Amino acid sequence: MTEDTTDADTDEDVRTDGSGPGIVPPDDETPTWGERKTRREGLARLTYEYFERARSEDQELRQESSYVERDVLAFPTWPHEMIRNLALVSFFVGMIIFLSAALPPHIGPPADSSSTPAVILPDWYLYWSFGLLKLGPLNPDISLLGGQKLMADRTYGVLANLVVVGFVAIVPFLNKGSARRPVEQPFWGAVGMSGVVFAFTVAVLSVKNLVPMDSHLLFDLTFLLPVVSACLTYAVLRSMREGYMFNLNRRYYRLRPPK
Amino acid sequence: MPLDEDKYPGETGRRRFVKGVVGSAALASVGTGGAAAVNTATSVGGGGGGPTQYVAIENTDGPAPRGMPIVPVEVTSSGELRGVFPEATTEEVGGVEVVVAETDMGGITYSSTWFQYCGVEQYEGAQPDADADNLLRASAGEPYAWQADIDAGTPLTVDMFENYEEWGNGIGEDGLGKPAGARWRSEAEGAKTMPVQVLRTPELPKMINGEQGFRDYGTLPQGIRSFLDAATDQKFMAWLNKCTHFCCVPGYKQLEGSANFGGSNGVYCQCHQSIYDPFSPVQKQFIARPRPTD
Repeated sequence: MTEDTTDADTDEDVRTDGSGPGIVPPDDETPTWGERKTRREGLARLTYEYFERARSEDQELRQESSYVERDVLAFPTWPHEMIRNLALVSFFVGMIIFLSAALPPHIGPPADSSSTPAVILPDWYLYWSFGLLKLGPLNPDISLLGGQKLMADRTYGVLANLVVVGFVAIVPFLNKGSARRPVEQPFWGAVGMSGVVFAFTVAVLSVKNLVPMDSHLLFDLTFLLPVVSACLTYAVLRSMREGYMFNLNRRYYRLRPPK
Repeated sequence: MPLDEDKYPGETGRRRFVKGVVGSAALASVGTGGAAAVNTATSVGGGGGGPTQYVAIENTDGPAPRGMPIVPVEVTSSGELRGVFPEATTEEVGGVEVVVAETDMGGITYSSTWFQYCGVEQYEGAQPDADADNLLRASAGEPYAWQADIDAGTPLTVDMFENYEEWGNGIGEDGLGKPAGARWRSEAEGAKTMPVQVLRTPELPKMINGEQGFRDYGTLPQGIRSFLDAATDQKFMAWLNKCTHFCCVPGYKQLEGSANFGGSNGVYCQCHQSIYDPFSPVQKQFIARPRPTD
């Protein structure tokens, strides 16, 4: 390299950062788009056609589209956004005032700790957690402790909540959720379905005293149905791949729309 | 080059010092404030709790940790039912005077600490030196159809239980006894209600003698049987009706649903389906909660 730099007529050679003469044609030698258009052959013509086709297809799409393009990035906060927000705010405040005026106040008698109503349940969206409190039969008798349980059934039920929440928290680390349709990942589809079914069955288990069904059978179904649904889901998704011609179109299904 | 090199304002010794002082002050105030909040939101630890041996009706199923404590009963000369509460005495333990209410009941120490769970330890009636009414009075809310014409607060009398040998309400087997919902030591102004379940049952003599009855009572230990002998009167027994699980008030033969969980002849808690068997008294231990002291 030292010999090159000492060369008489090329004292400025190609540099490692890409600058310098030699690679990029000088401005006066680079063909303009007009020159590329007039040429009939060569790389310049090819690149012209390539970009021109992309541009014209884009133009056609824009003309077909019903979307009206505007040269507006956003509206100013004042007054445009403020007026709209005021309308929304007054609507919701009005709804609150209307409801508070129209609905009768519900303040029941004070809670009586010396009697318990015959049907006593939490709100429906907490049934799953309420059902986890009734997992006593799963709490193992440890023979090392002389047939005693390691923890009380109530502690066990509370810890079961942590297991469920922990599983839900771990799933995103095991699977990023990049599948656009369940056939792409039948296994994870099956895991999801079993979770949905378990959320339902454990909610039913929580109201087992109101379900006209043998409570032991219900307990078994609570854990069997999610497994059954997982197997079913897996089988159905795998056979649906046939219809999608999944193996043939795998690359297409993996395609993602551009950002 | 560190990421924050061109931060404005630049890091100086003085700035780091101020940040340290402010940060530690913030941490300290969070700690102090948290401690103060916990202190005001919780009540002070009281006295008179601890490990307690007691006689319970057995918990046979469900998540409850142990049975519910038996309340000794006696019938007064006028035929009214009265729950026995031990006499309070003041003892000196380690130089501190403490009020203790305990007595010997058929060889087993019956103490007011039996009832110190589920917040009952804060009730006025559960205090050892409370001057409370020991009569068992009918509870409000008609737990049984036969109690419909008895006003809440009326003392229960023996003649209300005349038909106890054949009584039944379609739940479980008939003839196991006649129950009543009651309250106990709760008549004072503003006192919280201690719910008690009363049961007059023909099984009691068999339990005391260890005979074959509704169950095989021959397996009952001698200590339990002598306790029952002392703690029951005219075939009346009673227990504090607070589920040891989450403090609901269950019922003996009160709900049809109990049959699904094998509790139609026992006490069934509708909250988490705990079952208690009044025909199986057992001796248990639990940690009684401390009473509030002021």
